[in-house]
Amino acid sequence: MTDWNAMSDEEFRQEVRAFFEVEYPVELRHLPHRPRFAEIEHWHVKLHAKGWVAPAWPIEFGGMGLEAAKLLIFYEEQQRYGVNRGRDMGIQMVGPLIIKFGTQAQKDYWLPRILSCEDIWCQGYSEPGAGSDLANLRTSAVIDGDDFVINGQKIWTTMAHDATHIFMLVRTDPDAPKKQQGISFVLADMDQTGVDVRTITTLAGETEFCEVFFDNARAPRANLVGEINKGWSMAKALLSFERIFIGSPGLAQNALGQLETFARGRGAFDDPMFRDRYAEVALDVEDHAALYSYFADQLKRGETLGADVSMLKIWVTETYQRISELMIEVAGPDGGSIGPLQVGNVSVDVLASFYKARPTTIYGGSNEIQRNILSKAVLGL
Amino acid sequence: MTMLQDEDLRLLRDSVGTLLDRAGGLGRARSVRDGDTPWDAGIWQELAAAGVLGAAAPEETGGLGMGLAAAGVVAEEIGRVIAPEPVVPTIGLAIGLMQRLCPQDPMLEAAIAGDVMLAVAWQERCSTGLSDVIECRFDGTTLTGSKDWVVGASAADHVLVIAEGPQGPALVRIAANASGLVMRPRPQSDASALWGMSFADTPAEVLAEGAQVTDALLNAVADTTALAAAELVGLSGAALALTLEYIKTREQFDKPIGSFQVIQHRAVDMHVMQEVSQAAVREALAAMDQAGSTLERVRQASRAKARACTAAQTITREAIQLHGAVGYTDEFDVGLLLNRALVLSAWLGDAAFHRRRWLDANEKEVAAQ
Repeated sequence: MTDWNAMSDEEFRQEVRAFFEVEYPVELRHLPHRPRFAEIEHWHVKLHAKGWVAPAWPIEFGGMGLEAAKLLIFYEEQQRYGVNRGRDMGIQMVGPLIIKFGTQAQKDYWLPRILSCEDIWCQGYSEPGAGSDLANLRTSAVIDGDDFVINGQKIWTTMAHDATHIFMLVRTDPDAPKKQQGISFVLADMDQTGVDVRTITTLAGETEFCEVFFDNARAPRANLVGEINKGWSMAKALLSFERIFIGSPGLAQNALGQLETFARGRGAFDDPMFRDRYAEVALDVEDHAALYSYFADQLKRGETLGADVSMLKIWVTETYQRISELMIEVAGPDGGSIGPLQVGNVSVDVLASFYKARPTTIYGGSNEIQRNILSKAVLGL
Repeated sequence: MTMLQDEDLRLLRDSVGTLLDRAGGLGRARSVRDGDTPWDAGIWQELAAAGVLGAAAPEETGGLGMGLAAAGVVAEEIGRVIAPEPVVPTIGLAIGLMQRLCPQDPMLEAAIAGDVMLAVAWQERCSTGLSDVIECRFDGTTLTGSKDWVVGASAADHVLVIAEGPQGPALVRIAANASGLVMRPRPQSDASALWGMSFADTPAEVLAEGAQVTDALLNAVADTTALAAAELVGLSGAALALTLEYIKTREQFDKPIGSFQVIQHRAVDMHVMQEVSQAAVREALAAMDQAGSTLERVRQASRAKARACTAAQTITREAIQLHGAVGYTDEFDVGLLLNRALVLSAWLGDAAFHRRRWLDANEKEVAAQ
């Protein structure tokens, strides 16, 4: 087996780049929507055969065992080439959760099924009354013999209609003195009476988010991950790497590339006013990358990221939005048109880009919540 | 960047920072402004002794040979206390031009050692503002014409002038007390002055001639522009620190105003802007040390100045707002930072100017590929 970590960063980057460029299906590059699994299954099969489904997992569990520096390169190349992240809740969240907190039996049973995509996971965190205030969640799991009986509702569950399983935060002790206490991690089967999924249509007209209703649904007690009532701190521990990923430059860089193509095709670069505004967002992207490197270097040195990494997400998502708004302006009278706009021999879907940018400042901890975190933890206010 | 370089830069930052704090920190900017000495010659000597002026100059000329990254560290520390000495123009323009064009001239070593002070006159004014044509004439022995926006002229022993000579562009030197030299200060918001100069048959000595002068000037100006950006990073960091301290202690409605969410979010935005500015400017300086082409150095310098101007203007103005009414008084130091940010932003091109140059350079680079 190749020891990826022993390679130089540049060698590894070339290796990853070459694999994507040769093997990744062209029609799936930079997908403007979140695909159903069936749409990307042929890619997943290739990735699985290569052993590259789970770059961050340790080798003993079937991952690539990449250290932080190599992992960042892997993700950078993935974003650069517009490789779809696939159904990555299993890979990004459930796998690490089980690896870190699960029993041997849970590891043996669940991990191979995640890698093969036999099980497809969705994340049951948010609820109608628990968004930014996630600890306010109320979906209950009550022990009944060998099972948990689950009642309540999850919302904004990404691609729940395409998932076979859900990993969820549930309230197991309603009488705990603090709301962060009394929360547990439970794995449940989606295919049972008592679980009802309804899609939510977004502003973009897509149905990637769902509501999931639990009406006396059941999950075996063996599906509790980690200690009971300790789910909150486990959920926080899972987010450490996610926090730099959500602030990585990829989305904004890709959007900037689209803006440039579109604006050149439309002759907007002849307009000094546009040139200034383009330079402004382009520099916002380039300078964000400098700050991103600063944090990436910390990870590479094996340090743990502090709360200040939230800066990346704030800056890059707001930049991404400005780029997508500028694209609409360049479109002029076509700024409200659905579907791709032809410029020269390429086409750009300005509305799709605009819509895609909107939720980035809301998900993963809204930018207002990120500002609260920075204010408290970094500025000491 | 290696760990060793990182460590060297940290040591340099500590020693320059300590020196400037011991000299009086931010308070010195106010006392110099209110006194009648433009700056303290003793501090200039101390800075030179610490290697500050030669941070980027090659070792064989008496410098530290640590590159622009090190000069950037110096500039940040200068900006943090808005030291009134013309450190950045001396490093970037005077020493930058001499090390490229006349490294053997003994005055280079003297300038690095702080024994002689040099001002550089290169820009010219026309009726609509900045002129990009050199009209100042050097006939082989004397200089005639005028220059503008010269920094640090009041304490200079000599002035280096870019002129058009018999062999094309020339770098010449005149004494500060030379005949036919008239200097007019234009007072600036930070109590410094930018000087207009005119020369009438002023005796001058040629230091270098020909196309190399144009290239050296382009590079020296790029260096100075990036160092001015680093100075702005230090300055905006100081404005942010003062503001954070103030909103933690100032109470209204029986609470520190920093406990109000609207203030917190505005402070966070200042902080994020500062961090982006610092990361971008440091990255740009390091890239300039590595860059092969003048075009790439110019591009990185413009990137740095565009970012640092935007950040420093925004942060100092927000700082005034978060200080409330006292922010509008002369008594509070935050105003000194605002005034210095105005001057440093305007000098060598503001954010919009450098965004334009950055994009032009980008397009030239793409076209060249």
